[in-house]
Amino acid sequence: MRKLTALLLAVLMMAGLLPALTQAETVKLTMGSWRSDDAEKVQALLDKYKELTGVEIAFQPTVSDQYNATLRLQLDNGTGPDLYYSRSYAVGQELFDAGFSMDCTDIPGVKENFPESALDAWQTPDGKVFAVPFAAVSQVIYYNKTLFAENGLEVPTTFEELIAVSKAFKEKGIEPFANGIASNWDILECVYLGMLPNYVGGADQRALYESGEKKMNDEAFLKSLQDFAELAQYLPEGFESLTNSDGPAMLGLGRSAMFIDGSWTCGTFADYGVEWGAIAFPAPEGATPAMCFHPDMGITGNNATKYPEEVKAFLTWLATPEGAQTTSTYLPQGFFPMIDAPITFADPAVTEILALNDGKVLDARFVWAKLLNMYTPMVEQLNALTKGETTPEAVAEVFADEQAKIVGQ
Amino acid sequence: MQTTVQRKTSSKNRLNPGGRYWIWYILPALLMYCLFMAYPMLDSVRLSLYEGTTGARTFVGFANYVRLFTDPEVSARFWGAFRNTWVFFAYHMLVQNVLGMLFAVVLTNRTMKGRQFYQTVVFIPCTIAVMVTGYLFKLILNPQFAGPTLRSMGLGFLVKPWLGSEKTALNVISLVSVWQWVGIPTMMFVAGLQGISEDLLEAADIAGANSWQTFWYIKYPLLLPVVGMIAILTFVSNFNAFDIIYAMATPDGAPNYSTDLIGSLFYRYGVAGKHPIGIPEPGVGAAISTAVFFMLLAGVVPTLRATQGKE
Repeated sequence: MRKLTALLLAVLMMAGLLPALTQAETVKLTMGSWRSDDAEKVQALLDKYKELTGVEIAFQPTVSDQYNATLRLQLDNGTGPDLYYSRSYAVGQELFDAGFSMDCTDIPGVKENFPESALDAWQTPDGKVFAVPFAAVSQVIYYNKTLFAENGLEVPTTFEELIAVSKAFKEKGIEPFANGIASNWDILECVYLGMLPNYVGGADQRALYESGEKKMNDEAFLKSLQDFAELAQYLPEGFESLTNSDGPAMLGLGRSAMFIDGSWTCGTFADYGVEWGAIAFPAPEGATPAMCFHPDMGITGNNATKYPEEVKAFLTWLATPEGAQTTSTYLPQGFFPMIDAPITFADPAVTEILALNDGKVLDARFVWAKLLNMYTPMVEQLNALTKGETTPEAVAEVFADEQAKIVGQ
Repeated sequence: MQTTVQRKTSSKNRLNPGGRYWIWYILPALLMYCLFMAYPMLDSVRLSLYEGTTGARTFVGFANYVRLFTDPEVSARFWGAFRNTWVFFAYHMLVQNVLGMLFAVVLTNRTMKGRQFYQTVVFIPCTIAVMVTGYLFKLILNPQFAGPTLRSMGLGFLVKPWLGSEKTALNVISLVSVWQWVGIPTMMFVAGLQGISEDLLEAADIAGANSWQTFWYIKYPLLLPVVGMIAILTFVSNFNAFDIIYAMATPDGAPNYSTDLIGSLFYRYGVAGKHPIGIPEPGVGAAISTAVFFMLLAGVVPTLRATQGKE
């Protein structure tokens, strides 16, 4: 009798295992992300990938401002997704150092197909790549073509012209800009860090500030803050309570002539039927034009995944020109693949924004690589500067103090 | 006599089986309470003595509390949020609850027409999601979107960045919250007033009391237990408030931390971490919530003593 029970149990257990064995053929992976806005588009991309390879990937995004915390919690508890979006620089590297993220150095194509500037964002100091570069964004100034034409104004090519144009619009009763400070991030990320490369230069110069060789109250920084303060005078009425999401509406409805923002917004203007264009942030006269082209999203694998082969296969696909081309047809407008290969976009406006990079010095957001702890003090200082509560000189001193705190460590 | 003796010596019968049978009645609730309230609360007290995110946590004793109260940046934020939360609470206590009582007295006036209608109007905002209220008021208070309408009505002086100024933001958000929740105390006071015996009011009327005297000497004292209950509910919900700040001001308590409440401070330190790094310090977050828990306790217990149980 006991034997019979044991046999029965064994058969039952085998039967229990059977589905698991057959399931192994249809692998189902999960992907974590902070881009909950893109859920539909990315899922379409992943469905396309399933069509190509038979591997199913489910997109499971988290609200952006809780992504880092949530992902960390999932990874710690062993419930992390098989694939996940990796933040650039230190924040992404932390997960690699903690042993969660896959070492992507040997993924075929990673070292060959991406430019150094892209790899730099997902690479440890000793050259280990912890995520495949996925997409970058650029900081631009959107403008309302109709308003410029109606008022006989030329699109500015230097900072001085930008101020002249702003003045002209203000005199005609049109708000020059649609930017506000209530969101507490875009005044730094889009406006100030968007204009900064024109004043301090590219990655090589940034490195000098990161090492402390150059101080953040030098002439270049002071000039950038003076120009920022001048620009701030042309922010719209009530800018103190305008958020980043008010901007597209103000530009789209013709309330304001320009909106300083990121390339990720370009898809929203279609809703307003506005004739819009985009320019890079114009450099002051005589300066080398530079631009903020920020490596934003990387994708990496979870070391604890049950399907390392499938995960690696997906990452390899991402690092091929064909993968990047397929990806960019599904990515939301304004997110650019970083691969060293010609990519075409369905939307000519997107191609135009990417073309703004041509012939310019490009760099990531200034504080992202090593000075991220300056983020909060910088936002606070810039908020005060836009309200006229402090001076560019005083702000530069605070910047230098904060820099010394980090560099001195 | 015999029966009472018998009851005392052996209380077992079909209606009163004796022993600890009652434990079965409270057991389900007790289990749920322990599992989902008491345990997490005690565990969060434990968490406040640890450092690091999950996984690699290290015991640090009271270091998080020391940091909370002595680190210049963290303590400035904590006391700033503490002060703001009291302001937020004061608005609810003085405006929301006083208005609630006023509305309740008016709504229980039998001679008024359309009482049901007004009662519904007062209560409707409570049924709207906070995120929706916040978003609507953000547009209404926005100089760019509401400005032209206000100016055309000759109310140009109202066009101000109410939510963008450190002086006005917290006051305005408090009033929006008051607008939304005034229906709750109103309903509770209405229920309380309806429970007052008709005889008392009639006697007062015969004695020649005017309506103010009737309110002050009869209705108000009898409503006192309700007042105490509402005060406690307001106190607890305000010290846990977070959603309206998230909806109207960002979790940073913009502008310049002037709308930062204990709830948003806790969210930044304990749940989401600070943008853009976004790695929280659950230990500090737990220390904040534990400190606030004891402050709430210190507020709630005397209020309960003063207002309840005077039957």
